[in-house]
Amino acid sequence: MAKTEVRLRVVQIAFALGVVALVARAAQVQLAEGRRYAADAEARRTERVELPAARGTIYDRAGTPLAITQERHHVGIAPNELTDAAAATRLLQSALGLGEREVRLALRRRWAYFHGPFSAAQVHELRRLRGIHLTRTYERFLPDPDFALPVLGRPAAEGREASGVERMLDSVLAGTPGSAVVLRDGEGRVYESPSRLDAFPVPGDDVYLTLDAQVQEIVETALADALERFRAAGGDIVVLDPHTGEILGLASRRADGSQPATAFTSVFEPGSTAKVVVAAGLLVNNLVQPTDSVWGENGRWRLPYRVLEDEHPVQWATLEHAIQVSSNIATVKFAERLTRTQQFRIMRDFGFGTPTGVDVPVESRGRLPLPQDWSGTTAQALAIGYEFSVTPVQLAQAYAVIANGGVLFRPALVKRVQAPGGAIRYEHRPEPVRRVVTPEQAAQLLVMLRGVTLEGGTGAGAAMAQYEVAGKTGTARVAGPNGYIPGAYTAIFASMFPASDPQLVLVVKIDEPHGGYFASITAAPVTRRVLEQLLAARTNALDRRRLARPAAPSPTQVIAADPGVLPMVYAWPDTAGDADTASRTVPNVAGLSFREAVERLHRRGLRARVEGQGSGRVARTRPAAGGAVAPGALVVLVGR
Amino acid sequence: MALRGRHFLAGWLIFLLAILAWVTARNTAAHVLARELAELREERSAREAERAELLRRIREGSSLGTLRPLAEELGLRLPADSQVIILQQPVREPR
Repeated sequence: MAKTEVRLRVVQIAFALGVVALVARAAQVQLAEGRRYAADAEARRTERVELPAARGTIYDRAGTPLAITQERHHVGIAPNELTDAAAATRLLQSALGLGEREVRLALRRRWAYFHGPFSAAQVHELRRLRGIHLTRTYERFLPDPDFALPVLGRPAAEGREASGVERMLDSVLAGTPGSAVVLRDGEGRVYESPSRLDAFPVPGDDVYLTLDAQVQEIVETALADALERFRAAGGDIVVLDPHTGEILGLASRRADGSQPATAFTSVFEPGSTAKVVVAAGLLVNNLVQPTDSVWGENGRWRLPYRVLEDEHPVQWATLEHAIQVSSNIATVKFAERLTRTQQFRIMRDFGFGTPTGVDVPVESRGRLPLPQDWSGTTAQALAIGYEFSVTPVQLAQAYAVIANGGVLFRPALVKRVQAPGGAIRYEHRPEPVRRVVTPEQAAQLLVMLRGVTLEGGTGAGAAMAQYEVAGKTGTARVAGPNGYIPGAYTAIFASMFPASDPQLVLVVKIDEPHGGYFASITAAPVTRRVLEQLLAARTNALDRRRLARPAAPSPTQVIAADPGVLPMVYAWPDTAGDADTASRTVPNVAGLSFREAVERLHRRGLRARVEGQGSGRVARTRPAAGGAVAPGALVVLVGR
Repeated sequence: MALRGRHFLAGWLIFLLAILAWVTARNTAAHVLARELAELREERSAREAERAELLRRIREGSSLGTLRPLAEELGLRLPADSQVIILQQPVREPR
């Protein structure tokens, strides 16, 4: 008996000790090491992920999307989770455009993966299937991949640096990524956990460029045609609004079809297009009278270190006539009236030798030597557009001074930056840099340039029948590493349209054209072609009401009659391309389900955001129903 | 006293059940809404993708590169500037 009791007592003590040990261990695990184990477990089954933010859209000035962000998906498939493999195979084939054999082979594996990426529309039907796992990513989508490439550039990607506006405004377009904690299973697959969303991703701001999509297409097509026709090495076309500095169209292209941003980065000697700057210097310093003439040496003038020749020999020439026939000799003789400082200052005032400040990441400042660095012939060379270099955008900016009455404006590419909620973060206002010439002097220069496109002028190839074009041709030799390249020329035509009341400044530059290199037979006709297309296009870049006003034609202008052709008549007022800017009323959606409310807002041209879902029905809106808002404004739906 | 205790316990149980039912209902409603929201998001993404594709096709179809050869085939050409007539605003005479 006693023996049994002892045994029982031993068992009891052993049991008690076991319980105590268990409790002690539990206490150790829970209390002393609990946090470590909890953190370890959390790390094994959860993961903090970054939720990418959608990149903002880039539009043209009228709201045409040029670069948008699209949701794309990679498709992963767990074949053992599929309930109906045959149906899944058929759906995968039709939705993703895959071959039957490819899908069947993939489904034999433990885990099938199709990288794609596939659009949301393609994978929409797949979402219903069990066993299909989608990985979302954002990609830039360009409705026309080559459109406005030198301006838009590309966002950074693997092995490629960002460029253009995508680079310049990257911080604005990129948005703020969100973050979330997701659950992982034993095989490391990620499951979304809506309850653990830490921060919503905030989409990037939308950017509206100053470009006009129609103008852009016209200049791109015209440049591509010109390069082909003249078998040229490359070229640039810039179209600018002289009154605001806004760039409406810009094309840069090389013969191989590439589109580097040479309009901002590539410099060239402007040749005779710079002669008007000499004229401006003479007017500003009151060194010339309209009747002043210089001897044109019959087209050949031997100087101590060089021989100057004219393509169109003249005898006595006024400044206006020298500009009209692009006389090197007469221009140099007039330029001798300027001191070095005066000549340098007027060139600097027109923006040469300094960056324009246009909204691109990389821009060349061109080259303008300081007066103390000039040689004995530099002043003569500068007068006829040599020994200094400019970019096409700088040249357009300089001609805009004459077109707008004498003010140098900073060229602009960004018209507006708009937050996802509709708030305007930035709106372009014309930015005058300085007054270069008085309005009267600008008008005098414009008169000189009007003569260039008249009969006998070097820019007659740009003349139109009904409207006057003012401008200046330039044919400059191309400099290489060992001096000027024999037979290589740059043909340039800088112009203003219409001459009576300029609305546009155009610079057409063609590098190394073949079969006739003079700007008069290359760049000038391209300018006319662009202008004709602009007139025929339904673009708002031209104010047709101002065009319709009777112009004051030059007395020598011959209006070519073109009988027998049916005229194209435009309705007046021309509002076809006007953006819909009328304000809208916020509809009353209280009591509706969120789905119905969102649909109703979308039909009204408004955007919606849900806040506080509650019962799933809308209690009120912000702004309140009945309020007037801009098209596309954000309306917050508050749940009840 | 015993009766009061049973009533007290029953009251607490009912209260607890009510709380549980309320929490469950809220969770269910939240899940339904979350699913609806996710579906809406997916639908929106799909529509946006369709819109992007349509935009691409519109741009391609209305581009000069597509239209010009077609127009030339039909014998059409770009009008010269003299063939584009912009009508002037009629000036109203003061009475």
